[in-house]
Amino acid sequence: MAPPPAGSRPGWSRRAQYGLFFTLIATIAGVIVGLMMLGLSLVAPSNYAVVRGAALDVTAPITGSLRSVTTTVGGLTSGASDYWDAARQNGQLRRDNRALLQRMIEAKAIQLENAQLKAALQLREHSREAVATGRIVGSSFESPRRFAVLSAGSGDGVAVGMPVRTAAGLIGRVIEAGRFASRILLISDRANVVPARLLRDGLPVISTGRGDGTLDVRPLEVGRNPFRVGDVLITSGTGGLYPPLVPVAKIIRLDDDGAIAVPLADPSSSSFAIVERPFEPLAEQQPPPPAPPPLPKKPKAKP
Amino acid sequence: MVRSALQQRSGAIGRGPRRGALLAPAMSVVAGSLVSLLPIVSSAGWGPDAGFLMLIAWRLLRADAWPAWWAAPLGLVNDLVTGAPIGQSVALWPLAMLLLDLADRRTLWRDYWIEWLLAALLILGEVWFSWRVAAWSGAHLPFSAMLPTALLTMIAFPLAAGIAGLIDRWRLGR
Repeated sequence: MAPPPAGSRPGWSRRAQYGLFFTLIATIAGVIVGLMMLGLSLVAPSNYAVVRGAALDVTAPITGSLRSVTTTVGGLTSGASDYWDAARQNGQLRRDNRALLQRMIEAKAIQLENAQLKAALQLREHSREAVATGRIVGSSFESPRRFAVLSAGSGDGVAVGMPVRTAAGLIGRVIEAGRFASRILLISDRANVVPARLLRDGLPVISTGRGDGTLDVRPLEVGRNPFRVGDVLITSGTGGLYPPLVPVAKIIRLDDDGAIAVPLADPSSSSFAIVERPFEPLAEQQPPPPAPPPLPKKPKAKP
Repeated sequence: MVRSALQQRSGAIGRGPRRGALLAPAMSVVAGSLVSLLPIVSSAGWGPDAGFLMLIAWRLLRADAWPAWWAAPLGLVNDLVTGAPIGQSVALWPLAMLLLDLADRRTLWRDYWIEWLLAALLILGEVWFSWRVAAWSGAHLPFSAMLPTALLTMIAFPLAAGIAGLIDRWRLGR
């Protein structure tokens, strides 16, 4: 069925033979150049920051506009189904509202007490200002890595290394920033390690992504498995990148010496994501390379 | 009689390829790369690498869709659009072209099953390579996590081949 490959036997034409030979050489050169580019992007990815940022700026608006179409359609369907059993939902919402009101008053009292205690301890409050807010418009659904695209970029003050969260919990951190859009490394990526602790007893743990939307949680101290199904993890602030006390995940299953957890913030359903400053500003920039020790000056040879 | 029979399809006879016929295959590969821009926010990687799929579908359909070295710049576009480490597709796509050149010399006859088998092998290689690159960049996953992607891409190959065939007929004005 397949015709003989065009050009594999170019006949006696020198021009055709040279053309074929050039194509072969150029293709092999393409492989070699690709391998060199790959090596460079694995060793020093910051070299490509400008190109990648520009590519993000070009492509993210497409994803963003498509995203707004899908959310509109999704909103129409879910809105219609909300009308369907409005009466039952209304009753449920009223009950929830009353319960929440009580909880809110309790929380306010605790907040007041907390402020008094902090004042007594002379604790310095870290400012937790939002740098920018954006929408999660897309993700790397065709890649083993877990990236998401956020519709806020360096034009809004976003810089590489900033943590990103929603109201529900931590999402990840910025790894590429274009002018209008940025790429986020989600906490479910294998290369993203979040220092966290258990909300129940404050035990320090380490959470690593598993690449399939869940997290692998291990305690820092080896010993018996401290987790229970349903435990909630919050960030500990260790390392200075992620701010402390942000909800991270909920444990769904135990294994031998750790547990599997699902992130509390679902990037696909959260409408807005907040970019914050790194908890400690030192984590924002890469640690500078240690300065070379000053060379001992050679004593000038005496005349 | 003959003349009236010809007149019914007069559009098809005596008409050359459409304008831009030489660029149409490459454009369809770029369009395949752009599939990754769909606003799908997924918690796991499962989607096929549609750009690579279109590339091998075209190459299996015809050897002269483009000069083989075009695969390198097409791969660069794919890397930039999908957010893969730059160089991953730049290296892999021309390599796939070279491998298929070899396969062209080795296979005596071809049918759909052999083409699908060749495509499946290439897809497996592509998935393995992207898995290795992910591991080199710090994300060590078990290979079993990549199998859904590989299977889905293999199943999607006939679709890509069909699209390439449609575009081929359209661009040649047949």
